Amino acid sequence: MRTKFSGILTLFLAFIVQFTFAQEKTISGTVTDDKGLPLPGVNIIVKNTTNGTQTDFDGNYSILANRGAVLTYSYVGFETKEIAVTDSDVINVELAASASELEEVIVTAYGVGRRSTVTAAISTVGAEDIEDFVPTTSIDNILQGQAAGVQVTAANGRPGNTAFVQIRGTGSINASTTPLYVIDGVPIPINEGENFNPLNNINPNDIESLSILKDAASASKYGSRGANGVVLITTKKGRAGEAKISFNSSYGFGERIADPFDLMNAEQKLEIERQYADLGVGAANRLPGNTATPAERARLISYDTNWEEELLRTSVVQNNSLSIAGGTEDLTYFLSLGYNIDTGIIDRIDGFERVSARLNTTYQAKKWLAIGANVSAARSTTDLPRDRNNVQNPFRGMYDYNPYAPLYARDDNGNIVNDADGNPVFNRGGGIFFPIAQALQTELEDNRNLLFIGNLSADITLSEKFSNRFAVGVINNKFNRTNRSLPGGVLQGFIGDANFPGTQTENVNVDFEYNVNNLFTYTDTYNDLHNLTASVLLEYNENIRNELRVDARGFPSPKIPYLDVAAEATRADSNESRRILFSQAVFADYNYDEKYILSGSLRRDGSSRFGPDNKYGTFYSGSIAWNIAKENFLEGSVFNDLKLRASYGTSGNQNIPDFQYIDAADFTTYNGNTALRPLRAGNPAIQWESQAILDIGLEFGLFNNRVSGVIDYFKKNSQDLLLNRPISHTAGDEDNGIFSNIGEVENKGFEFSLNADVIRTDNWSVSLGGNVTFLDNEVVKLVDGDDIITGTFGNNILREGEDIYSYYLVEYAGVNPDNGAPLYVDLDGNTTETYSDSFLQIQEGKSPIADLQGGFYGSFKYKGFGLRGDFVFRGGNYILNNQRQSGIAIGNIDANLRTEAFNYWKQPGDTNVLPSPTFQATADQTSTRFLEKGDFIRLRTLTLDYTLPSKFLDALPINKLRIYATGQNVLTFTDYEGDPEIGLGSAESGNQGDGTFVPGSFSLFSYPQVKSYIFGLELGF
Amino acid sequence: MKNKISKIIILFIAFGFIACDDELNDLQPFTEVNPEAFLTDLASFQNGIDGIYGQMYNYYAASASGLQGIPDILSDNTIQVQSGRRSNDDYHDFRYVATTGGAIPLYWSEAYEAINVANIVIGQIDNLADSDDKNNILGQALAARAWAHFDLARIYGKIPTQSADANSSLGIVYSKVEDGDTGDPLATPSRETIGQNYTEIIGDLERASQLIGTGNGEGRLDRNAVYGLLSKVYLYNGDYQKAIDAANEVSTELATAEELPGVYTDVNDAGIVIQLAVNTSSESNFANVGVLYSQSNADNDILEFAIDFDFFNSIDDTDVRQDIIQYVGNNTGVDYNAIKKFLGEEGQVNGRVDIKVMRAAEVLLNKAEAQYELNQQGPALATLNELRATRYEAFTPGTEAGQALEDAIQYERRIELSFEGHRFFDLKRRGESITRSDNGEVIDGSGTKPEALVIPAGDFRFQFPIPQAEMNANSGFDGQQNAGY
Repeated sequence: MRTKFSGILTLFLAFIVQFTFAQEKTISGTVTDDKGLPLPGVNIIVKNTTNGTQTDFDGNYSILANRGAVLTYSYVGFETKEIAVTDSDVINVELAASASELEEVIVTAYGVGRRSTVTAAISTVGAEDIEDFVPTTSIDNILQGQAAGVQVTAANGRPGNTAFVQIRGTGSINASTTPLYVIDGVPIPINEGENFNPLNNINPNDIESLSILKDAASASKYGSRGANGVVLITTKKGRAGEAKISFNSSYGFGERIADPFDLMNAEQKLEIERQYADLGVGAANRLPGNTATPAERARLISYDTNWEEELLRTSVVQNNSLSIAGGTEDLTYFLSLGYNIDTGIIDRIDGFERVSARLNTTYQAKKWLAIGANVSAARSTTDLPRDRNNVQNPFRGMYDYNPYAPLYARDDNGNIVNDADGNPVFNRGGGIFFPIAQALQTELEDNRNLLFIGNLSADITLSEKFSNRFAVGVINNKFNRTNRSLPGGVLQGFIGDANFPGTQTENVNVDFEYNVNNLFTYTDTYNDLHNLTASVLLEYNENIRNELRVDARGFPSPKIPYLDVAAEATRADSNESRRILFSQAVFADYNYDEKYILSGSLRRDGSSRFGPDNKYGTFYSGSIAWNIAKENFLEGSVFNDLKLRASYGTSGNQNIPDFQYIDAADFTTYNGNTALRPLRAGNPAIQWESQAILDIGLEFGLFNNRVSGVIDYFKKNSQDLLLNRPISHTAGDEDNGIFSNIGEVENKGFEFSLNADVIRTDNWSVSLGGNVTFLDNEVVKLVDGDDIITGTFGNNILREGEDIYSYYLVEYAGVNPDNGAPLYVDLDGNTTETYSDSFLQIQEGKSPIADLQGGFYGSFKYKGFGLRGDFVFRGGNYILNNQRQSGIAIGNIDANLRTEAFNYWKQPGDTNVLPSPTFQATADQTSTRFLEKGDFIRLRTLTLDYTLPSKFLDALPINKLRIYATGQNVLTFTDYEGDPEIGLGSAESGNQGDGTFVPGSFSLFSYPQVKSYIFGLELGF
Repeated sequence: MKNKISKIIILFIAFGFIACDDELNDLQPFTEVNPEAFLTDLASFQNGIDGIYGQMYNYYAASASGLQGIPDILSDNTIQVQSGRRSNDDYHDFRYVATTGGAIPLYWSEAYEAINVANIVIGQIDNLADSDDKNNILGQALAARAWAHFDLARIYGKIPTQSADANSSLGIVYSKVEDGDTGDPLATPSRETIGQNYTEIIGDLERASQLIGTGNGEGRLDRNAVYGLLSKVYLYNGDYQKAIDAANEVSTELATAEELPGVYTDVNDAGIVIQLAVNTSSESNFANVGVLYSQSNADNDILEFAIDFDFFNSIDDTDVRQDIIQYVGNNTGVDYNAIKKFLGEEGQVNGRVDIKVMRAAEVLLNKAEAQYELNQQGPALATLNELRATRYEAFTPGTEAGQALEDAIQYERRIELSFEGHRFFDLKRRGESITRSDNGEVIDGSGTKPEALVIPAGDFRFQFPIPQAEMNANSGFDGQQNAGY
């Protein structure tokens, strides 16, 4: 692959050199801003030709032009300047900041707006903020720490896996809390019940900007889908001028982040087995620590297997991307190709691989008609390990397998045993009955996703005042999964059919969503002071999902992974689901001289998810803003931007399962015959969850925007939450509940973000910035005021007046120093040596939801050198460390333990110890003993780069050369006993889409976070 | 030009308002149906009937908690093997409470789901024209409804013969569509008494016996099944003469000694009165009930439970059942008395086999016990000898009387029905204690002894707690949790 790119590169180089002949005269010079600072990337075009160039990093340029030709200098945010070529070969240009373009243009709901006249709380993340990430990091993961009010929890460390993103807290209990993602106007379907999330198939290199719509003024425009906030993804576009070719290649490696604790080695493990056996722990009696002869013992110690080394590896990360962008005044294009591999850190399986391509074009077809087409295709493949809480998961195996057990079986002399084919046989002794190293090769899961996104738009200018935009967006994903259990493999021995060796399951899920919208807009200005924009939106959105599954068994050879050769099919299913949303909306924006701004929106949505009585819902918002900086009394002050804004409005959440309003049954089989299976009692009154958000914000920019920031206060009330109201099981309902609009939760808090260009000189620049969100949440109302016990293992609770998902655990009170018994607190507050489920109680103020979360960065540049570090942090959340519980459980004496396990109670008076192993039954219980603070600060990315100065580039046919080294997750500060970045605890126990799953609530051997180092090269032509 | 475009846009908008409403309103589920509207003809009613059995299979066959095996795990027939996954140890060690997962919430929920399907079928039965087929459908639904309620009553409540107070103690909710018990998902019914429950169970079964056909195919109830159930329910209820009469209506022949091994590997259905069947070809991903006891592969037998040391050693060497019950299981070099029943079909160790709910041998033993209880010792001995004649090599008819006869009947019952989900209920209904042998799980009796050696008769744990979820959701159960929880 890399060789191919090199070949292409050579071709390009040759091609470009060709152009340097047959020109009359070379003009060179420097382009600076009004303060004399060099401006890199200024477009310089010889007017009425396609001949153009750009300034380099130091603002220098050179261009060939005839005498008398006119050069056009243009740059975003500056007035375009035209200068005629005279005798002089040097033209130095100073560009003036443009009044109208000085302000940033940001992508907003159904359009773009100038930041100064936007009344909504919108955070933006630019391309430069995301370029340092390993490109296989999915977009949602990249958002972590980048924008105030956005809470991101990585699902786990598996390459290409997505994240749990919440905007301004947990706004729902049973419906999804994931924001709506919209890419170039096309909503991205995310189906949590099916674990479908195509975000990881979008190449981050294609992204120009991300806009996060957080308040009612923006999110309400998305009506019944806006309640969780909206993330607008805008991809890159070409600009008029010569083609810019950019090639980026990087290579790196990753490894598991080391644990802050030690596991026992073989000698230690044998010793603790002996100690346990002496203390009368029954399970230790038969273990080698108790039974082995000295010779046997010496042999076991000699193995001293490091299971992390045997099961994991250093991952390899490779990325190549190429983009070509350019255009004329009528036509622009952006073409990109990307290829990414991340092998992951599990040995013996492949990781994540993605190929992506994109073409974005715009064309001014007529004076009154502009059309655009964005199309992209991406294919990714992933090998999945089993993410479950036993040794079918290598991340549990590496902790559980005894260090005295070797990877390969040994004979009595300690030599490796080979099978008849001469291959070493995996060991099944020493407590290993499931050899995961072998299972990784015989129990295979391979996922493929093929994603197409297309968007066609037509902008029609009807008159100066009327315009219309029509857009059709299509997103189509084909998901294939092949699950194999090879004949002769590990699982086949347990569950296989002796007559039909080997099983295979094929899943094909096709998601198709299309979105048609038409936005008719009226814009007018009266007396040069009153500016009015009003729009009418019609939108139709339909999601169609088709699923197909076939199982077969009886494979003649593990080498043929196709059902064609299977002896018989054992299952075949197909299914379809659809969801339709039809919307009408009116938006209006008014401002008086850009000082006083008023906005409003009204939207009516009809959804197929709701019953005939509640098919339609209406959502509204109103917002105001005051641009104080534009008032005369601030003229000449240090403030060049000061805006106070407030908004209030409603939005909805319709992310509940389909057809909950009707009684339904489906079909299964009994003894091979069709069997009717009632699924649920319907609730005809069901409707969307509704949300009301109040937001008050202040935006400021000082000293020519060298210091800028935003402060927001928000209060978000989520009502009519769909709770599965528990009903008596005697009704015989399949899930013993009926969906009803009952609950209410509240999230409120403050967000701060601040950026400062501390130093900005010719050679030096230093920028610092960051954001933080303080979040407070509360359960306001539940069914009949009854608590809801939730969480994958029932360790979380929803109780009116308390934090959402507060922990629900038995309180641990340490070890009785007299006898080593673990102590617990009963509901009357008494300390007791007994343990009972009836002691379960709410742990007030302790929940998996962070009180504060954010990120900060520092960027230092000196000449061509740059150093940038981005930190993320989180605080105030708690994590149930089930992984630690497992690592010191007395009952797990047949598996390896943490060295901490030696520190148990031995004699009266011992304190700060683990319970005595003689109290196994009461000690091995889940309690607050394993509830730990999840606070951490992590150096998410650290990048050192060097951009070759232009004086060296002049001799080369390139205009940019940057080399860089990036580290991801290189430093972590935490007191948590493990890795604190937990999203999934154990995916097969609890995952997003399961009713009781709470992200980040417990850790239990899911794919850990990875530390990676990447070295790269970026070339521009 | 511009005018035309404006008109097109206005048309588009107007069209949009009208057209999309239909799209919204017309959308219906693709693979789901309204259960009541679906039942229109014999074929659809048959789907409904099979739906009842499917729900019952769910709780009898569940890999982790099946009712096929939990009553043995609760009893003195088994001992936990420490090198297994230690599954169901809350049950084996009698540590369960109202919030314990596994069998306690599973049976409660799934049995009522079976009852729900039965009530849907019974409620719509008049969609069929009168015929023998209609009667057969109704008979199966009534019998299955009674059977599921019977399971609930004996698990969560006392058994009438268990103690003098049983009939007036709290039973379960008997849900009948005819009585208007269904239709309101938010209803909060209260527990009835055990006496009322058994009256309803017997009522449904007796009505079913007049309607149901003979020979409905594998895995379905028929006339023999209903009378078999009646013999059991009457025995539980202390109606001994009726138990004998019902047993006499069952025409299923005992499995012979030669047939018996094949019964457990689904080679034959000899002596089966009721079974919940699985098609291991098309349903190869369905529950593997044998996992309750063990998982095996070519190298090791990972046992969850082994056979109690004293129990296994009490089995006579001339007893043909010894080899049917036990094999020597080996896990990393240690031998155990492993449970052979439910290992899988012939040649398999995947644990996926038909559930044996009732066999002719049980009906015979019900009859023998009822005869003994009525002090018909001669007939009781004759009935017992009828079974023993097919179970021992070179059998000489026994001559026991009095206590020895009663012990012999119970001894045969324990061996014949071992590991098929009976032992716990047999001890419970007879008001006896559970006494495990004081030995370890290894084949020679060494290893780890049981944590719970004795559960005395009358202990509250003979009745499972009502699941906490039910207590939370149903205010009708306020103050009605079983004693002790």
